[in-house]
Amino acid sequence: MAAQNLAELCAVLIENHVGDLAAQIFTTLSEHGRCTATTLAGHANIPLRRARTGLATLIEEQLVLHHTAEEDAPTFYTVSWRNAYNLARHANVIALVTERYGEAAGQVIKNILQLGHARVGDLADAYDLAPASQRDSGIDMDQATGGMMNGTAKPSNQHVTSTAEFHGILRNLLRDGILAKVGARSFMPVSDLQEQLQEAVIVDQFPDRKVTGPKKAREFGAAVNELKRRWQIDDTFSEAVDVGSRGAIKRPGDHFAPNKRAKLNGGFANGHAIDESSAPKLSLDLIVRVDFTRCALGLRSRRLHQLARRVLGNATGAVYGALLKCVERKVRIIRSEPAEDPDADKILPSANLNEIAESLDREVDLGSSIKGVGGNKHLKPNGTGMKGKKNQVVDDEFAEIGIKEELSESEDDEPTTNGLSSYRSHAKRVKMIEAHLMLLEEHPKGFCKRARAGSTSTDWGIDFDDLMDGLIEAELDDTITAKFGKKSLRVVRMLRERGRLEEKQVASFAMMRVKDVRSVLTELQSEGLADAQELPKDNQRQPSRTTYLWYFDTQRAQSLILQQTYKAMARTLQRIPVERDRFRTIIEKAERTDVKDHEQEKLGQGERAYLREWREVEERLLTQVARMDEVVVILRDCSAKDVSLDT
Amino acid sequence: MAPLELSAECDELYSTLLTAATESEEGLKKQFFQKDVAEVAKKTAKSVTELLKVIQELQNHALLRASRWQGSLCWSTRPRGAAEHIRVLNTNERTLYEYVEDAHTKGIWLKDLKKRSGIEDGKVQKAMSKLEGARLVKVIKNVRAPAQKTYMLFHLVPSDDVTGGSFFDAGDLDEVLIEEVANLIVFHVKMASWEESKVRQPRRGRSPVDADHQGDDAVAGAETNGKKRKRTADIEDSVPARKHRSRDYEDIVVQLAWPAGTREYPTANGIHNFVTTMDAIRASKAQQLTVAEIQGVIDMLVWDDKLEKVGAGYRTVRGISFRPPGAVADDEDEEDLEKVGNGLTQTPCAKCPVFDLCGEGGPVSARNCEYFAEWLNHGT
Repeated sequence: MAAQNLAELCAVLIENHVGDLAAQIFTTLSEHGRCTATTLAGHANIPLRRARTGLATLIEEQLVLHHTAEEDAPTFYTVSWRNAYNLARHANVIALVTERYGEAAGQVIKNILQLGHARVGDLADAYDLAPASQRDSGIDMDQATGGMMNGTAKPSNQHVTSTAEFHGILRNLLRDGILAKVGARSFMPVSDLQEQLQEAVIVDQFPDRKVTGPKKAREFGAAVNELKRRWQIDDTFSEAVDVGSRGAIKRPGDHFAPNKRAKLNGGFANGHAIDESSAPKLSLDLIVRVDFTRCALGLRSRRLHQLARRVLGNATGAVYGALLKCVERKVRIIRSEPAEDPDADKILPSANLNEIAESLDREVDLGSSIKGVGGNKHLKPNGTGMKGKKNQVVDDEFAEIGIKEELSESEDDEPTTNGLSSYRSHAKRVKMIEAHLMLLEEHPKGFCKRARAGSTSTDWGIDFDDLMDGLIEAELDDTITAKFGKKSLRVVRMLRERGRLEEKQVASFAMMRVKDVRSVLTELQSEGLADAQELPKDNQRQPSRTTYLWYFDTQRAQSLILQQTYKAMARTLQRIPVERDRFRTIIEKAERTDVKDHEQEKLGQGERAYLREWREVEERLLTQVARMDEVVVILRDCSAKDVSLDT
Repeated sequence: MAPLELSAECDELYSTLLTAATESEEGLKKQFFQKDVAEVAKKTAKSVTELLKVIQELQNHALLRASRWQGSLCWSTRPRGAAEHIRVLNTNERTLYEYVEDAHTKGIWLKDLKKRSGIEDGKVQKAMSKLEGARLVKVIKNVRAPAQKTYMLFHLVPSDDVTGGSFFDAGDLDEVLIEEVANLIVFHVKMASWEESKVRQPRRGRSPVDADHQGDDAVAGAETNGKKRKRTADIEDSVPARKHRSRDYEDIVVQLAWPAGTREYPTANGIHNFVTTMDAIRASKAQQLTVAEIQGVIDMLVWDDKLEKVGAGYRTVRGISFRPPGAVADDEDEEDLEKVGNGLTQTPCAKCPVFDLCGEGGPVSARNCEYFAEWLNHGT
């Protein structure tokens, strides 16, 4: 794997996260590929004991996967690029969870991320029994400044106040797939998993160990997929299996759970956001980790939402956000299995209008942004439709800055309207939502479409495959514009649309001088973004007698920019210790036990300003890494086409 | 060899042919075949031999020129003035003139003239400069080969192939015209794309961190604030916190979308119609503009992210504005550059000239990077 930039980035991330021994082992392992602990120690030139310690740390974070084929066989270790890279995504995941589930959930996620994976019981202990000790458990991105970083953060124990709230948060996160159950299989390399699957199927259904002929091959494939699905279901969290009250039968550790589900509240519907406080507890032995594929989906939705808002306005963007949220719950993974029948109509993940209305923030003013939709035409004569809305003016501060306050929606569940008027206002609302969705459908990017084309069904779906191509192109366009300017963008988009073109054609389509076009094309070529195909007119292949056809290869540009992003991320992270060195004196002083937490009294004004400056610098560099991660989400994780990490 | 005087019957025939030619669509390029000429010359020339004699006389006077069209001989007329000049030319000059004449509005390269006529270099040069001096031919600029000298008959107007179309001015790209037309199109399409209304919103500082949303801030933010204003009016003084002094407000233009499927956005034809009938462009230029050329400008605007295709028509991308007439487009591009970009392009690495060399242990690394120091010191 020639992912040198990625390897460097991962090494930096691991060094920051778990120390340099682990980073050294990771680098060695990534250079030499799959090997045993002994070989690894040999390659890395370190004692076996230390190698094992390092591996243990890495395995804990699932940065290294391991597999033992048989009882006595040696254990092989492999790096997990995806998991290692995900260390860079922590900030974005925390932001996403905080935005959707609130501060407390963000804090919980942050802790789980720091630990790699965690037992629910241990997490609960950290919060409930010793709230103050949380500071110690927080290993930050940067170990050396861990204390300092936490010092800048707000004291976190204010967020999670009760066991019930804690479990409610975890259950919510598990239900939406942000958290996932950790089983033995999570630590196995994908290829080994696949092998084990096939072996299991062979042993089970093909006793003669022969899979020959197309018919048998098909049977075999189907059986493997079937088993895979079963395993996946086994490994996913389900309310029935993993909730503490039921789990008691199977799990010996469960009797530690102090209070089971309160019987009084038994009538409440399960899994509804409102009864968080009365939610049944999770088994304390349940081990959870953050499911990054799910988070990538979330980040993708956020990105799409932003895009829609930019091109069609806030209200339409909000409607799209609601649609995305509904659809997201139904999409399990980005990488779906290849469709068995290519001729069959694609089944789009879709959501019903009512669902969308349900999850859409009621504060969003749907009527005002489309001409004639919110006007008097549709208003009932007595104006009930509007009255319901007026009364809900509580706080549009969030809507104003474009953040929807998700948690509030449960409390203002139609507080004012009733009967006929509420029915009417609902119908009107749905109608307006549909108008917004049609606007989104009409847009050239094709944000969404009706689930069944041509019908007037109320189901709306999103064709992610097409949309993602557009999103990737938009990301490339942004990069190119910022790096080379608008003229280059024009040329690139033209080449993408029109295919291979000669220089003069490029000039005439772009309405630019040949001279200017030539400089643009040469610049793009030297950056590897555009290329020319030679078409000699005679055998001599003289440049003067050759036609050059210029083209733009999206996939190549995509991987190129992805690699550049990796590299820039690594550089930005590498800059942090350099900057820290610059501020060394003040950092050391601030970290002294007598100064820590008493900065206000113990440090002079100049020193405080200096310290603040350092914090800003670090914050800035880390934020930049998080922003670059957003680029990676788009270029690598959002479409099923990028396979750079599938090994 | 040529008789001094043109006979009367020849003159008459010539006049008839000339009138026929100028009245026809092709103008002087109109070709007359033998039977056409015979038809016209029924009175003067009864037989083929007589006809041939008359034609020969006209040809000698350079009033007619012979050419071949799909294997058969045909003639076309020359203006009298030109004919007079040609009569005094020598053989070389006459041959060269005929080549230029054949090329018609496409023009002919000097190189090709030399090759085809087989006349030696110096003589061609001399002959051509004489022809030019006699205002029989002219040098034009060919957009396809600006370095080559291209000759064309003096009275002809170069074809679009040669000039490059309406957007070329004397072989040079007329960027100002393109910009003007583009601006006009954006103006026109914008009017038809969005319903604009003015709302007041409280002044708000832009946060520098939020670079991603800066582009849409003005427009996107306006809507929610539009709503806010309405509500404030609705509930009057019941919420004192909502009261702002008037100078805290500014008028913001909000673009409201038309409901999907209800609007016919301007098509290329419609836009062409608008541009050519507007008085903004010189009438002669406006006449020249074709729908295809306008389509070209539209495509360019789409690539520039200013227009987007909706159904059969086009609409402006939200938040795009046109430049008021007369305004100078200064610094506009720079401003645009700052707005776009992503996590990658904001780092110093994205514009680093030695990015490829950069690495731990190399001559350049994150440790000794100058750009980072600068970046951390001054914003971006």
